[in-house]
Amino acid sequence: MSLEKKDEYDHKNWLESKDLTPVEATFLTALIWVDKRLRIVDYLELLESLYYRSNLQMPKSHTEQYDLDNKFWYWYALYTLGFFSTLAYVVAAISGALLGFYYVPAVGSAGPGEASIAYSQIAFIMQDLQFGFMLRSIHRWSAQVMTAAVFLHMLRVYFTGAYKEPRELNWLLGIVLISLTMVFGYSGYLLPWDQLAFWAGQIGVEMSLSIPLIGEWVAQLLFGGFSLSQATLQRMYILHVFLLPFVVTTLIAIHIGIVWVQGIAEPH
Amino acid sequence: MTDDTTNTDGEPQTDGGSGPDGSEADQTVRSDGGTGIVAPDDETPTWRERKERTEGLSRLTYEYFERARSEDESLRRESDYVERDVLAFPTWPHETVRNLALTSFFVGMIIFLSATLPPHIGAPANPNSTPAIILPDWYLYWSFGLLKLGPLNPELAILGGQKLMADRTYGVLANGVIVGAITVVPFINKGSARRPVEQPFWAAVGMFGVTLAFTLSMLSVKNLMPMNVHLLFDLTFLAPPVVGAITYAVLKTMREGYMYDLNRRYYRLRPPK
Repeated sequence: MSLEKKDEYDHKNWLESKDLTPVEATFLTALIWVDKRLRIVDYLELLESLYYRSNLQMPKSHTEQYDLDNKFWYWYALYTLGFFSTLAYVVAAISGALLGFYYVPAVGSAGPGEASIAYSQIAFIMQDLQFGFMLRSIHRWSAQVMTAAVFLHMLRVYFTGAYKEPRELNWLLGIVLISLTMVFGYSGYLLPWDQLAFWAGQIGVEMSLSIPLIGEWVAQLLFGGFSLSQATLQRMYILHVFLLPFVVTTLIAIHIGIVWVQGIAEPH
Repeated sequence: MTDDTTNTDGEPQTDGGSGPDGSEADQTVRSDGGTGIVAPDDETPTWRERKERTEGLSRLTYEYFERARSEDESLRRESDYVERDVLAFPTWPHETVRNLALTSFFVGMIIFLSATLPPHIGAPANPNSTPAIILPDWYLYWSFGLLKLGPLNPELAILGGQKLMADRTYGVLANGVIVGAITVVPFINKGSARRPVEQPFWAAVGMFGVTLAFTLSMLSVKNLMPMNVHLLFDLTFLAPPVVGAITYAVLKTMREGYMYDLNRRYYRLRPPK
């Protein structure tokens, strides 16, 4: 009599009783080995269920249910603005990653009015790099389009009253997202380190300095000092390609997740 | 029928089941084309069914999973979670194809824009020469305009006509005020009204905001505007209330017609006794 506990989940005995071919036995042993450790049955079942429900059907919308389509059709094009901004974000992310292969966030030893390393890298991208001009163009335009779409998306949500009762949190999240989108734009705007970038940065420093109480601290944190330098460029770069992408992507996922959970608010 | 009113006033019957009045509620649900939600069916196969549809290694996998699952299955059977399966537009291919079409259209639009209007780059940064025109990107114009509100910064008699805070501090704080105002909207505007015609006041507030954002943007580029600067400043704050008032008036007028139509539709669906 062995001390080992025997229960109905004694897979070993079950295996022996099955009279399997070597291939089957190996497969099943491996499967059981992995499943005991990672419980893949959960994930496999999830995938299977998703497969069987790929024709997952959504509830009838309010307008469908009460046959109001002919009344409100003109709103519907505006309901795609959120998706459109997400899409522009994805395009910007892809083109931005490609630009990041060539861009260097460095002022170098450039004096006033001379091309810094960052500036000459942009010039390189635009003049020498195959497809580089188009790449920068795509990045810039997708950013512009994303911002525009986000603004219009907010207006749509406002005018269709979609921010109301169960959805206040998503409205707040949306405000955070639109602000971060603008920070994204601003930090990206500074990266070429041309005249406009520099003086936009100057305005940014002065704006932070004029915040009561914490102004100087904010200016040092965001711009690395009270005048623009290598530190500013570096910080804006890290904001633009490291911090913001993580934060904004996560928030977008949560934002869309909440919409998914709560359903789309339609005018009624 | 009493449940006509109960069904429409409160209690949405999400499960399509019977209301407080039992069988009569079902009748109501059917008369408006159904709630769109039907009882769960058995489309999603059980493990046993999946097992029986396969053979070889995958069948073996299912056999094992069935064993491994038996505990969880009984737990699930005990739970009161109800899966809802409802009828509408299928994901594949209809929804997917539509989404792909939209996606390619939008991406194509972005690429078209970038091909036709590529950005250029200005002179390298030069701290010694301030350019004549410094502007952020267009989406920050409104914020930039707020920095030019100096004339609105109140002077206090107690301080001998001095301003309480610097003009630029005032401008930065104004940004916070605007963001704060947008933030509190859902906590002030309650109720089930959604469309602008149903809430003319809030639609007017919205148009006020949109116009203010626009006029502030115009103010921020005041050196480029072919216009008297003082007139522009006055218009910045006069135009939004005017637009708001017009919106309010128009929507109030429209509302009557809309409500008439909506009511007619409503009573056609649920005829009064």
